Amino acid sequence: MKAVMLALAMTTAPALAEDWPSAQWPVDNAVINWQTVDTYAFAPHDTERGGIRTDALLIIRDGRILHERYAEPTRVDTAHLTWSVSKSVLATVMGVAYGERRFQLDDPALRYYPALQAHPTLRLADLLHWASGLAWQEDYEYAPLKSSVVAMLYTRGRTDMAAYTAARPAASAPGTQFVYSSGDSNLLAASLRAMLAPERYADYPWQALFMPLGIDSAVWERDGAGTYVGSSYLYLSARDLARIGLLMQRDGRWREQQLLPAEWVAFNRTLFSAAQPVPGEANPGGHWWLNQPLPGQPVPWPDAPSNTFAALGHWGQALYVLPTQKLVIVRYADDRDGSFSHNELLKRVLDAVAGEGA
Amino acid sequence: MKRVVLLLLLAVSAWAWHERQALADFPGILSAYSAKEYCSCRFVMGFPEAYCRGYVRQYLPLGLLKEDSPRRLVTAEGLGRRNQAAWQGHREGCRLLP
Repeated sequence: MKAVMLALAMTTAPALAEDWPSAQWPVDNAVINWQTVDTYAFAPHDTERGGIRTDALLIIRDGRILHERYAEPTRVDTAHLTWSVSKSVLATVMGVAYGERRFQLDDPALRYYPALQAHPTLRLADLLHWASGLAWQEDYEYAPLKSSVVAMLYTRGRTDMAAYTAARPAASAPGTQFVYSSGDSNLLAASLRAMLAPERYADYPWQALFMPLGIDSAVWERDGAGTYVGSSYLYLSARDLARIGLLMQRDGRWREQQLLPAEWVAFNRTLFSAAQPVPGEANPGGHWWLNQPLPGQPVPWPDAPSNTFAALGHWGQALYVLPTQKLVIVRYADDRDGSFSHNELLKRVLDAVAGEGA
Repeated sequence: MKRVVLLLLLAVSAWAWHERQALADFPGILSAYSAKEYCSCRFVMGFPEAYCRGYVRQYLPLGLLKEDSPRRLVTAEGLGRRNQAAWQGHREGCRLLP
């Protein structure tokens, strides 16, 4: 009998040993020297908002907090603007809807968003690849006159961002070319609306994703039409964003529940290769960013494993997932120039972790 | 010389006509951006007033950036345009008013 109990304990032990955050995150007390990481991320900066300006850095290993640091006024409970990290979280919300069989990747977007009638061959998969083919100029401060994203968020698009995007002319055939577009993400947010009963949309991100993960800091702003600004306006505490990272690190499973179908996460992590390489920039997957090289090109972040993937936003917001190392890294920032390097941060984190106990 | 000036003028006019929508929208960006992002900085992220003023500062100066804290309403004026953003709720955060 004892032997049976022992055998039973041994078979269930791995599942029991797995760490998950409940209200609080478990802490890993490993002795690691974070100095080179912190020197880089939290370098002293001037008052003119130049240089690397990290607001929060949170490093999770296999479900436990390994390192955490904040810079005022950001604190552990600050729901920080994630900018375009919102897009990948929107895709994660849609992953739950996908698991509920509310849509297929090859479905025409027009089925859910009738304003796209001029683009009948545009599929939801194309929107998830940022390959709608709709003319778009994604640029913030440097070219406000011509920027589609600025017009969408602040001027003629703000009353209905998906409608603004749908009215853009076609620049290429859908699905043939990656052109990063916040408009594509908001077409997804509008499509999701049509997949749900009208009274369910407002609660859906909470009911589908945030509440199951124990996320209680989320704020998601909407446009004038009441559609989530899926491209840009989600706010989360660093610890709550890390929950989404852990869900992705564990292939869509949260404790015993397969919240996202494994095939959905596989789609998120599959390279969309019809893109142009940009040095130092990750490549598009299914609404997530991948450290996989485009054909014939180098790995974007050479010091990080090529299976690294990320959700990335304006001014340095980032959620990195390193599945092999079981690392989830959240960085919030206020970088107003281009001095921050994803590769450099990841290199320093990996070096620090490799030197554990030294 | 006159011909060159005339041609240049014609080219500028053609460009302005071509970009008339973007040019008409441009003055509204500054106040809309400032009102919205300041509102979220204060009432969603919960940062102090002085920090949020620096957070939204752009190269072009604002004529006015005012918060009505009890109503969580922000008014911004710049380049001759005025925009307002208001806090909508705990999950909804801030939104530009029509």
